[in-house]
Amino acid sequence: METEKTGRERKVSEVSRDQRDARKKGDGAAPGDGLTLGMKIQDLSAFYGSFKAVTDVSIDIQANKVTALIGPSGCGKSTFIRCLNRMHEVIPGARAEGHVMLGEQDIYAKTSDPVVIRRRVGMVFQKPNPFSKSIYENVAWGARINGYRGDMDELVERSLKHAALWEEVKDRLKESGHGLSGGQQQRLCIARTLAVEPEVILMDEPASALDPVSTQKIEDTMDQLKQDYTVVIVTHNMQQAARISDYTGFFYIENMGDPGQLWEFDETEKMFSNPERKETEDYVTGRFG
Amino acid sequence: MPRETFQQELDGLVSDVLDFGEEVKDSLENMVRAMEGRDAGAARQELGVDIRYKTWGMDIERECMILQARQAPVARDLRLLYTVQSVTNHLVRSGTLCEHICHAIVDTEGCERDEDLETALVEMARTARNVFNEGLDVFENRDIERARDLQAKDDKVDLLYSESMNLIANPTEGGGGAPEWRMRAALMVHYLERISDHGVDVGGSAVFLVTGQRIEDAMQQYLDRNVDQDAG
Ligand SMILES: Nc1ncnc2c1ncn2[C@@H]1O[C@H](COP(=O)(O)OP(=O)(O)OP(=O)(O)O)[C@@H](O)[C@H]1O
Ligand SMILES: [Mg+2]
Repeated sequence: METEKTGRERKVSEVSRDQRDARKKGDGAAPGDGLTLGMKIQDLSAFYGSFKAVTDVSIDIQANKVTALIGPSGCGKSTFIRCLNRMHEVIPGARAEGHVMLGEQDIYAKTSDPVVIRRRVGMVFQKPNPFSKSIYENVAWGARINGYRGDMDELVERSLKHAALWEEVKDRLKESGHGLSGGQQQRLCIARTLAVEPEVILMDEPASALDPVSTQKIEDTMDQLKQDYTVVIVTHNMQQAARISDYTGFFYIENMGDPGQLWEFDETEKMFSNPERKETEDYVTGRFG
Repeated sequence: MPRETFQQELDGLVSDVLDFGEEVKDSLENMVRAMEGRDAGAARQELGVDIRYKTWGMDIERECMILQARQAPVARDLRLLYTVQSVTNHLVRSGTLCEHICHAIVDTEGCERDEDLETALVEMARTARNVFNEGLDVFENRDIERARDLQAKDDKVDLLYSESMNLIANPTEGGGGAPEWRMRAALMVHYLERISDHGVDVGGSAVFLVTGQRIEDAMQQYLDRNVDQDAG
């Protein structure tokens, strides 16, 4: 699509800055106006071979918002989130059914290239996994292989700033990424994801292995990130979901052996003050089982 | 069940609030008795309860804060803590008002009274006490149907309020009782009306606790539904 291409050629942060300015001026631009894309998921089911892990999920992921996914272990949160950038099918025998729209594009359409999709929908994993390269290269690498032709120093600095890591590493960019603390490594991975300028960022328990201070730093970046990106985060930390997200989805398995399903989805405020369904309330209040 | 200790702490907190409610009920009972029988002795028993109720209220509030800090409650637990604090507040205030009334009874012991006004006052005290007791009962049993009826009972208090104020403003020729007593009666009327309101709010908090809705919103929806039914 022509307009979209023009949008992509500009730096995402620039686009968003314009967007924010436009919003301030009040000329009608709003989140989800196409500059940052949301996702629309329809009847998504995910399988490992013949085992159905997730069934019939339909959900709108709002642009420029943080959507948190919570639920008991094994209910399919990771499986689901991996379907949102076609990482799921990387596992042998795994496949997904249904529709996942990124803006106007069905990412599961025959014409969609998974490699491009994974660039546009970036992912940060539970365990920080920096490359055995310098801090600088960790951030620059992805952008370079994606053919980034702008000012690389500027991109690295901007991404590190956005991930709230710049101040801590600006004097040792040439050092190995492995020399950083766990929390710093995780923020490095966030910076690396940001450097390829995705539209959506998926995070699967990004802070679960981190100490409270690093966790706080990651949470603080979240508010920043959603200015420019659409964020989906899986977390086991209920208070974290309550603190950082705008929308919350609760995944649940009704009976042992059944696939996981999206049991309730609503504004975070509602989910943590007065959810509609009993199972959700039992889960968020810790009265599970 | 996970969080068993937390649940026990919540249950303990609720039963503490109910115990508190029982004591305020007793104070109100005494107050009514003192008014019915012009019994300054009964009223005197209640002098000093105010400070005790305030301390009790602060203890419950502190417990709520500790639980919030330690347990980070959400959803129904959060609503419960919120409700407990709000009910406690109503109890403390009702207790204070009760003491004010008892003070007035003691201070005006032996004053000449207007019979009609006194009758209205006693009737108002009984009704306010009933609303308060029922409010507590609704809260204890989370009986949201009855919470709606409470409002109607409170309307009777409002009616008696107007009647009493009218008698105070327009004493009969040669009647009206001692001016000091009339002045105190005006204050008592006002306090009783407040106590009844607190009772309604205590009952209404059950609605919030159970449904997460404010009683006002629930009432509005209820009314809208009836209007729709009438129209259809
Ligand atoms: N690679 C795999 N091969 C086969 N089955 C898998 C695979 N990964 C996950 N599953 C199964 O799919 C279901 C959902 O797992 P998933 O990892 O998505 O859950 P989750 O909600 O992310 O759990 P957790 O909170 O523990 O991370 C589980 O029954 C799990 O055993
Ligand atoms: Mg997982």
